[in-house]
Amino acid sequence: MPEIPPQDDPITSRPMSLLVLISAFALLLTVAWSLYAEFFGLRPWRSYQDQFRVVYSEYLQKQIGQRKAQERTFFATPTYQKMKADVQAALAAAAPMDRELQKQIDLFDAQRAAITTGFQTSRGKVGAVTYDLEQTPESDKSGKAAEMKDLAEAKAQTYNVDWPTATGVESRKMTADDLANTFTSIMAQRAALVAQRGDVDKPAKDAQAALDTYVRENLPGLGSSDLAGLAQSVQNLDIKLRQINVNPPGTQINYIGGVGLVDRCQSCHVATDPLVVPVVMTVTKADLGLAKSMDAPFTSHPDPDLLKFHPLEKFGCSPCHGGNGRALDSVEKAHGRYEHWLWPLYYSANYNAGCQQCHASDAITEHAPVLNNAKQLYREKGCVGCHKFQGFDNQDELLVANRQKMLQMESDKKADQLEIPRLNKLGDQATNNDAANRYYATATNLTVTVSNMDAQEEQLENRSHDLQQEIKKVGPDLKEVRMKINKEWIPYWLQHTHDFRPTTKMPQFRLQSDEVQAISAFIWQSGITGPALPKQAPGDAAHGKVLVESRGCLACHSVGEGSAMVGGTFAANLSRIGEKDNYDYLVRWVHNPRERTRPYSPFEKRDLGPEDYAKHNLPFVFDLDHSRSPNDGHELVVQQPTVMPSLRLSIEDSRDVASYLMTLKHADAHYDAANFMDDPQLKATGKTLVQFYGCAGCHEISGMEDEGRIGTELTNEGSKPIERLDFALLTESAKLGVLPDGKKSPRGVWYDLKGFFENKLTNPAIFDTGKYKPNPQDRLRMPKPNVTATDIDALTTMLLGSTDPTLPPDYMYKPSDERAAVQQGWWIVTKYNCMGCHQIDIGQKSVLMDLPMYQGQDKIGLPPVLTSEGARVNPDWLKGFLANPAQSTTETNRNGVRSYLQVRMPTFSLSEDEIRTLVLFFGALSHQAQPFIPQKLEPLTPAEVTMARGLFTSTAAPCLKCHATGDAAHDKDATAPNFLLAKERLRPAWTARWITNPALIAPGTAMPSGLFKRDGDRWVFSGPLPGSFNGYMGDHANLLVRYMFQLTPEEQRALVGRTAASNSGGASDTGGKREARSGSRSAEHTPGL
Amino acid sequence: MLGNWHQLWEIASAPDNVPIVALLFLIPFYIWYSFRQAFANDELIAKLEADPAAAKTAHRKTQPYQPKWEREVHTWPYLLRVEFIAAILVTVLLMAWSLTLSAPLEEPSNPNVTMNPAKAPWYFLGLQEMLVYFDPWMAGVVMPTLIIVGLMAIPYIDANPLGNGYYTYKQRKFAIWTFLIGFIGLWVVMITIGTFIRGPGWMWFWPTQTWDAQAVQFAVNRNLDQVFGINGAWLAHLMPAANKDYAPILGRMIFGIFPVALYFILGAYGAYLVMNSTSFTRKIFQRMTLLQIVTTDIFLVLMFSLPVKMLARLLFRIKYIWVTPWFSI
Repeated sequence: MPEIPPQDDPITSRPMSLLVLISAFALLLTVAWSLYAEFFGLRPWRSYQDQFRVVYSEYLQKQIGQRKAQERTFFATPTYQKMKADVQAALAAAAPMDRELQKQIDLFDAQRAAITTGFQTSRGKVGAVTYDLEQTPESDKSGKAAEMKDLAEAKAQTYNVDWPTATGVESRKMTADDLANTFTSIMAQRAALVAQRGDVDKPAKDAQAALDTYVRENLPGLGSSDLAGLAQSVQNLDIKLRQINVNPPGTQINYIGGVGLVDRCQSCHVATDPLVVPVVMTVTKADLGLAKSMDAPFTSHPDPDLLKFHPLEKFGCSPCHGGNGRALDSVEKAHGRYEHWLWPLYYSANYNAGCQQCHASDAITEHAPVLNNAKQLYREKGCVGCHKFQGFDNQDELLVANRQKMLQMESDKKADQLEIPRLNKLGDQATNNDAANRYYATATNLTVTVSNMDAQEEQLENRSHDLQQEIKKVGPDLKEVRMKINKEWIPYWLQHTHDFRPTTKMPQFRLQSDEVQAISAFIWQSGITGPALPKQAPGDAAHGKVLVESRGCLACHSVGEGSAMVGGTFAANLSRIGEKDNYDYLVRWVHNPRERTRPYSPFEKRDLGPEDYAKHNLPFVFDLDHSRSPNDGHELVVQQPTVMPSLRLSIEDSRDVASYLMTLKHADAHYDAANFMDDPQLKATGKTLVQFYGCAGCHEISGMEDEGRIGTELTNEGSKPIERLDFALLTESAKLGVLPDGKKSPRGVWYDLKGFFENKLTNPAIFDTGKYKPNPQDRLRMPKPNVTATDIDALTTMLLGSTDPTLPPDYMYKPSDERAAVQQGWWIVTKYNCMGCHQIDIGQKSVLMDLPMYQGQDKIGLPPVLTSEGARVNPDWLKGFLANPAQSTTETNRNGVRSYLQVRMPTFSLSEDEIRTLVLFFGALSHQAQPFIPQKLEPLTPAEVTMARGLFTSTAAPCLKCHATGDAAHDKDATAPNFLLAKERLRPAWTARWITNPALIAPGTAMPSGLFKRDGDRWVFSGPLPGSFNGYMGDHANLLVRYMFQLTPEEQRALVGRTAASNSGGASDTGGKREARSGSRSAEHTPGL
Repeated sequence: MLGNWHQLWEIASAPDNVPIVALLFLIPFYIWYSFRQAFANDELIAKLEADPAAAKTAHRKTQPYQPKWEREVHTWPYLLRVEFIAAILVTVLLMAWSLTLSAPLEEPSNPNVTMNPAKAPWYFLGLQEMLVYFDPWMAGVVMPTLIIVGLMAIPYIDANPLGNGYYTYKQRKFAIWTFLIGFIGLWVVMITIGTFIRGPGWMWFWPTQTWDAQAVQFAVNRNLDQVFGINGAWLAHLMPAANKDYAPILGRMIFGIFPVALYFILGAYGAYLVMNSTSFTRKIFQRMTLLQIVTTDIFLVLMFSLPVKMLARLLFRIKYIWVTPWFSI
């Protein structure tokens, strides 16, 4: 064994202190680290609040300075000085009495304080003994007696009280009852004194209130002292976690009624806390001098109005905005923008998604323009043709269900009818009376059931009639393609949809050329061929152009290509219509777009022809009044499923319009011959393809009338787990934030719903990238929608917000009051594009308002503003008007009310249900009570009639100069409706408001304001009064309204004569029509006003 | 595609997988460390055996004797101070760990959407991986039970008291190699496979190969009887007409017994060979009772059934060796 050099014992001699020191130091450092993390690292909101305190204080100081300067000027005004002096004087007058009363009140307070100890002690003792007494059972007589004795003792016990009086203090002895009575009496006397003091101080308080109101009205916003107080509290801002307990669940089990959320967003977004920035103020980053900063979450809520009906304590932040309201340790976590938070904060382009969560049943949601746009797009671009969405038009599905129900009922009825004789026979054969009676009774009941079924079936038929009328397809009817379309154009269109018409709604399908051929062949061959259209004589294209530009076609349609495009986007651009359409068909279409060549029978599943009618000796007539099948009596489809209304043009005008439209084409347009379209072998392939691509979602096609929607339902698309969305081979690049075009995604990872929707809408085929799909029908079949980047943002917003609600059901906006009528009405209003011509919502612009032909003075030709329609018109009248805007069955080529307008209120042939909804909508929009009860008007006395006539024809207000009278010669210059309509049409209360100040109701109206002026609590005419008014104390406006509502045609004729006479001097110089209508006419109204 | 380093980093850095990454480094280290100690001890023992004089005075197993050294040392401070430092360092480590990595919480579970891949906690990944090779009853119930029972049996089948109480390789070769194969070779490797290799659909992805949920891999597995085309036809004409339908099942059952039995016989023989390979093992073998030998044999053979089955599955796409209506192996 080799010698080991001597050394120290490695265990006992090795010092470890350095190691201990290092470990201890490491531990200390870690503890320090954890403390840092606890107070700063995990609480980034602390530094935000710190920073906010500084910048906001600076901002407030600046505000205080400005405000003080304003106030100095304002306080120097004589009015303010006088009011201030009034307050001082009132205060001085009340002071002696006030002081006296205060002294008495103070005395009472001292007395109450003096008895408090004794009062509380005695009350406690008596209460405890009484409880014991009550608890002693009746059977225990001696116990009861003992308790009674105790109670008497407790009541008899006296307490020493140092009773203060006005002069000094006296000693008193009081029992429990004394104390209680004294206490009650002191409190009553004191209350009386306080009330008395209120009376004494009232003049001073009133003066002060008047002063405050005056200041508030003339110098709105927070006063300098309020601001100073605010600045002070901001200086002492408590740096703390700020949280909203969102509608806490209370005591209910299972969080029913509550949201169960805690939102701590305000911990960083301090300015959204109303305690820090009062609701009357708004603060932006720019205000705080941080406009450029990307890390300054200090803006107050940009839409304070929205918070008024979404109070923070009920809605919090995250239910609308998304994000993880509880998380605080990083921006990413709090905004929920990480893999495992299912409700991430919406990006700014998609803010409105939050609205959709609860407002999915609305067509139009106030404050949510992006969402409203999306819903319009969803319908207009035909998304709804393939993708079901709850709330959107589903009449087709209801109709199919209706039909199923009817068929079921018929078979039930047949079974019952067979059952009745069997039961009767059983009854005859029964062995005893009871059994026989039971059989007979059942048989009798069955007969009643059968007759009930008949009634129910009739109801279903009627409902079908309505539904049939409400069904609208996005695209045109393809059954009539042979009569309407240039054959060679069809295959071209299928392949070059967006080239031919860059603004079309039709999406571009991904079709191989053999698919195009097959589809064209099927469409062509399945089209109906007759009865043939009548041959139309050519019309006057120049006049047609005038009509298109003036009758209101441009509210929906546009003409001109590219930047030369003029008109609305609701319907097709007509620029190249001449290349594809057949003139005869176009004439019929313009004349009445709802007209069909053959009615369709959903029960027989075919189009009926004259032969079917001839079999029953009936003429081949089918329309809304003749909508039952001659074969089986069921409802037929008698109209084209288009939203395009009839403008009630005469046949000559229709020819002119069609002739004009036929001139809209490219001169060099050429289409290749397409003989394959007659190849019968292609038809079957074509049919499969048409079904495969879901063409029947938007078009009516022979044999596919009942095809369902082929796309996925999108009602709850925003709740779809990301795993259910097929990113296919792009999954990895989505997770890495690389866009399909190879660029970096600006927001990084796009493996989320937003990323999927945006990319899918931009290019629906994108998720086929790299996939090997030799068979074209294996490819993704969604066509490329014709949408802009803004549209994609909007649609993405809508889809993101279309979630399975995570909030309790009562958060969903499904009102049961008049707002329900508004909600339903908007669906109809947007369906028919009423807003193309009319302003319905305050601030909304119609399409026509922006057109070049309605600018400046020509505004006068615009259709009426409907913002107060519900308050203006009688709903019964409105019902009739909507059904027949011409207000006549014979003279239809006109406007029923505003005969002087070139633009035409068309006939929409709305279903009864739609009319009902619209009438209720207008009423609800103007907060009118339902049902409508007409206001009673006092009949005029003969004297009043004279006075009213005087007013009507006075030179200061020659009403009949602008208002139509029904006399053609007079009406050619008219710019306002006929007074004879008023009785049926208007509501008197609105009419009075209108004539006194029309500009309030419809700013810019030709009707002059200032005809009346306020005199006490009545309106009086502003112009020179006719002599008959001497001593009349009634309301002049009211008088005129009453007169208007009892006006007869004879009376009106008489008035016309008088107006002409009295105005022979002044009015004859009205030269050009247009000038007379606006400027000079209203000036003429107001001489001497 | 290989080369997805980003994904590998994501897997390795996931808070869930920190223990596994640590495992990859800690286990080799401690094996090396324990072997170092074991070899040092064995060396000392060999020296002292060669030098009886020194053996008389040497009183520590690992250190050479020096005259001034204490024969025994006190727990305090010599042991406790080391433990104290260790406690501090572990505390520091745990604090730093919890400060840097937050709890890997995910979204609320949705019974309608299963995550893919759905992985067990890391310490159960080995069991989950076993499910690939055995039917769930075997992998989920029988094998884990056998593992526990086998671990409990170790003290009772140990016939060599000389290896107790210190690190030694010489006295414990059999035990150490069994441990290395059973724990490191199977358990730890399977955990590693479960963490780094198994992707969506529990499919095999090499490290840096993208875990593509769309990936399609050809992996149609067959039972051994299918490889041999056993259909029970030869049984059918031996059976009564009424029961002929059961012939294929019965045929497969009978067929399966043979390879399994063969494996057990070969395995037992192999174990016998190992136990008698050197004079040292023969000495130990002599001391063992029949019960100890049988118990050792059974557990050893069962343990090796796992790698055998894994290889059969991964290399030859064989699913089950022995198929019965009640269980399959």
